[in-house]
Amino acid sequence: MASSTASPTTATIFAYQVGFGDCLLVRFEYANSTSRHILIDFGTTGLPEDVASAQMTVIAKDIEEKCGGKLDAVVATHRHADHISGFATKTNGQGSGDIIRALAPKVVIQPWTETPDLAIDAEAPATGHRKRLSAYAVGRVRMNDMAKLVVRQLDAKGSGFSKSLAGSIRFIGEDNIANESAVKNLATMSKKNVYTYHGGPSGLDAILPGVKTRVLGPPTLKQSDTIRKQRSRDADEFWQLQLTNLRADAEATGQNGDLFPAHPTRSGGKLPRDARWLADRMKDARGDQMLQIVRALDKQMNNTSLILLFEAGKKKLLFPGDAQIENWQYALSKDDIAELLASVDVYKVGHHGSLNATPKSLWAAFKKRGNQSKTGRLKTVLSTMPGKHGTEAAKTEVPRRTLLSALQSESELHSTHTLDRTKLYEEIRIDLR
Amino acid sequence: MGGNTQRLTILAQDPATRIAGKLVLASVEVPHEILADGPVGYRVKVVDFNASSNVLYRPFHYKYDADGNVIDPFALPNKTLSDAARVAFDAKLLADPNFHAQHTYAVVMRILARFEYALGRRVKWGFDGHQLHIAPHAFCEANAFYSEEDRALLFGYFYGKSKEPVFTCLSHDIVAHETTHALLDGLRNRYTDASGPDQAAFHEGFSDVVALLSMFSLKPIVRLALTQGKGKAKIKSERGVNLINGDYLTASAIADSILFGIGEEFGQRLEGVRANALRRSVKLPPSKRYLSDPDKEESHDRGEVFAAAFLRTFLALWVARIEQLGTFGANRYNVDMVVDEGAKVAEQLLTMAIRALDYCPPVDIVFSQYLAALLTVDREVAPDDSRFDYRVIIRKTFASYGIEPPKTHTDASGCWKDFDPQIQITYSKTHFESMLRDEEEVFRFLWENRASLNIDDRGYLQVISVRPSTRQGPDGFILRETICEYIQIAELFGAELKAVLGFERPDGMRTTQRIRAYGGGVLAFDQYGRIKYHIERRLDDVVSQQARLEFLWKNGYLDQPRDARNQFAAIHRARAQCC
Repeated sequence: MASSTASPTTATIFAYQVGFGDCLLVRFEYANSTSRHILIDFGTTGLPEDVASAQMTVIAKDIEEKCGGKLDAVVATHRHADHISGFATKTNGQGSGDIIRALAPKVVIQPWTETPDLAIDAEAPATGHRKRLSAYAVGRVRMNDMAKLVVRQLDAKGSGFSKSLAGSIRFIGEDNIANESAVKNLATMSKKNVYTYHGGPSGLDAILPGVKTRVLGPPTLKQSDTIRKQRSRDADEFWQLQLTNLRADAEATGQNGDLFPAHPTRSGGKLPRDARWLADRMKDARGDQMLQIVRALDKQMNNTSLILLFEAGKKKLLFPGDAQIENWQYALSKDDIAELLASVDVYKVGHHGSLNATPKSLWAAFKKRGNQSKTGRLKTVLSTMPGKHGTEAAKTEVPRRTLLSALQSESELHSTHTLDRTKLYEEIRIDLR
Repeated sequence: MGGNTQRLTILAQDPATRIAGKLVLASVEVPHEILADGPVGYRVKVVDFNASSNVLYRPFHYKYDADGNVIDPFALPNKTLSDAARVAFDAKLLADPNFHAQHTYAVVMRILARFEYALGRRVKWGFDGHQLHIAPHAFCEANAFYSEEDRALLFGYFYGKSKEPVFTCLSHDIVAHETTHALLDGLRNRYTDASGPDQAAFHEGFSDVVALLSMFSLKPIVRLALTQGKGKAKIKSERGVNLINGDYLTASAIADSILFGIGEEFGQRLEGVRANALRRSVKLPPSKRYLSDPDKEESHDRGEVFAAAFLRTFLALWVARIEQLGTFGANRYNVDMVVDEGAKVAEQLLTMAIRALDYCPPVDIVFSQYLAALLTVDREVAPDDSRFDYRVIIRKTFASYGIEPPKTHTDASGCWKDFDPQIQITYSKTHFESMLRDEEEVFRFLWENRASLNIDDRGYLQVISVRPSTRQGPDGFILRETICEYIQIAELFGAELKAVLGFERPDGMRTTQRIRAYGGGVLAFDQYGRIKYHIERRLDDVVSQQARLEFLWKNGYLDQPRDARNQFAAIHRARAQCC
């Protein structure tokens, strides 16, 4: 056992090859040869073509081996499938989530937005906001319903969208459908669950001696309000509207005269020639609107990500999940936090390298950025797979080319997308002294 | 044959705005034309296809009377209807997609006609084509938007709190707003480019302004706004004159009346689509801090500041004109004249608002430049401002929202400075007649005079439009101007910012970052072909270029390609999400 005052001397990050997803095992080693293991996320929404389909099980077994059958903590930054799908269990007990569960983590840490029964009896992180919390919880359910509905609609014949558009919508839609098995496993695999927020308890103080863990995000609703005077409409209202209309849209498909039953119509297959040009475009435009809505949904979920900053020895390690600017804003508005972030040594690149998840002000503030000759150069860890998310034409591809180029030239980049196919993970050792 | 116009019935605002439970209908003038089925006219092509249900609603076939005027199939019958008959009439109207198509067609044409009237010329849409597509029931989605890519206004319908469908195409406000996007895009094509926070906000705010002012130019709406408010103004009739107490005619009393009279109903069922522009404009109190508040950098929030400044200006000008009216005894005014004045001010202000676009730079518009253009337009029409103090009121009201004319290039009254006659310009190498319409000829003129006009000849220089503008001058004669827009494009690397634009690159920007900077200007030629105004947005304007670039860089917009279909859809959705 490490003494309660000793600091770890080394940190090792194992960034597993999960394709488009995150799975990071962090090992803190102490001078007395003991170590602590924290698993930060375990999910994928698309494995590389050249890895076996049993990859997630293989990874779970490797994690089991690396931590000696005992995991100290599990962190699930947010509920997107590419961050938690690996926690799903199987009825035969052989799922990757079953293996992790058997490692009996002492604590599972998640954002406050995952508090079970948030609407009813949660210890609200921001008191006096029960009504809004309740609205948030309802909104969360509706967002999930929406994602399911979108995917179901794509499954139905005659959605009318182009293949590429349907593919983009499906990818985001599926990522946003809560994996109920994984959610349940996370809620029950440990005796202790911590649901936290900016400035809240990390749940790791006792588990990681000598390591200070700060929770920088997500902000609570109340905290968000302090930086944005004009509050956004409650999530439940907005998503209720979207959900209702998505349902109506799904039901309208193929139905004649739904809006004006008494009015004569012509079906889309028999349009007069003067209507065809626009009609084709309108079908695409409708798909585009759906894509925009699922993107908004995706972003809102990304912004529930936990942002953790580990201060161990002389080093700072930053793990922001998929947090985007709206989540970061509250932390970045605090001078002391902005100062801390400037001296970060290791940065887990947010949201698989999308442009919006690494705020320019954050990247610009990293003082340890620099070329290869820079002493104590910033290390960056990227878990990603190109070709799954966004398009180059729209400059929304993930990882974003310009960010990737900056990561390559201004930091020591470790990315899973360049891993040799024979390797299961990228290993990054950090001397904390 | 019919005259230049014909009349069609529209909803004056939307189905939620009613008097004594009845729809507020208006019979409005639109340009005369023989409509094809759709209706399809010379500038608008309605295609009533529903992409959600994949059906096309059969269009109405319009008929014409012996004089060649369209027979309005949805006009209120001449005879007085019983309450029950009127309810049935209203219900039938709302349930008929052909009425929806007519309403949308007529509002679009009315807004187009307003633009053409104000500018004294035909106005193009913002795409390469003559007819704007309109889909009144495009899909089941709580949104409506202008899509340049589809040459279309797409109006969604949706199911809100009630189970009944809500049609965005039936809102005068929404149709006018989207039409204005399409027209503004035609007049200033570069205003949809990524720029500083004002530019996208201007597109939104200006579209709100046109929508609101065109609504207030309908007398039934002005009357409703004035008389249906909380603690309704009591109208007394004496000897055939309807009288209203002057206490109800202060700016704040009218604002309250608007708010409670139509502000609540206005867009009531459309909350899922957009913020209530009218209510928000009336309720946003003056403050000089808005524009420096990061909370107001979002285009929809910032646009509301611009719209609020305009709406307050409208109220102030209206009150100024009411004060000039005669009274009937102790502080009592003829309400019909008060309403007339309100509609007249709305018409005037709308004309000025549109005309001011000709005096705006072609790229990177900021509110302060638009204000200078607005003041200049008014000076052109009414050099003597002493009767109603329009320019004083406009300037004061905009200033209360932090919008002041630019410190340079304007005179003491905030108008653009006249072109300096001392500057040596060579007119002799170009031909007057060609200069009125020929972009090549104007380019030759520009190139010849680039040194005198301080136009940087590095980068790419292009004349993007040469347009005539005619209007009645203060002496009653027709005044003709020629408005020419030119732009300059400079392709730069981050490393060149200091040397070329004169400021350091933002933190974190790489030396190899590609940057496109714009400059440009408007040359307004008088009827003799001499330069009257040179309205510049200079490439070497350090302060403006730096502000633009830092905003784009900070928000990650620098690399983003323009989305010609979804640009406005996204802004409108964000606006709905925040209201």
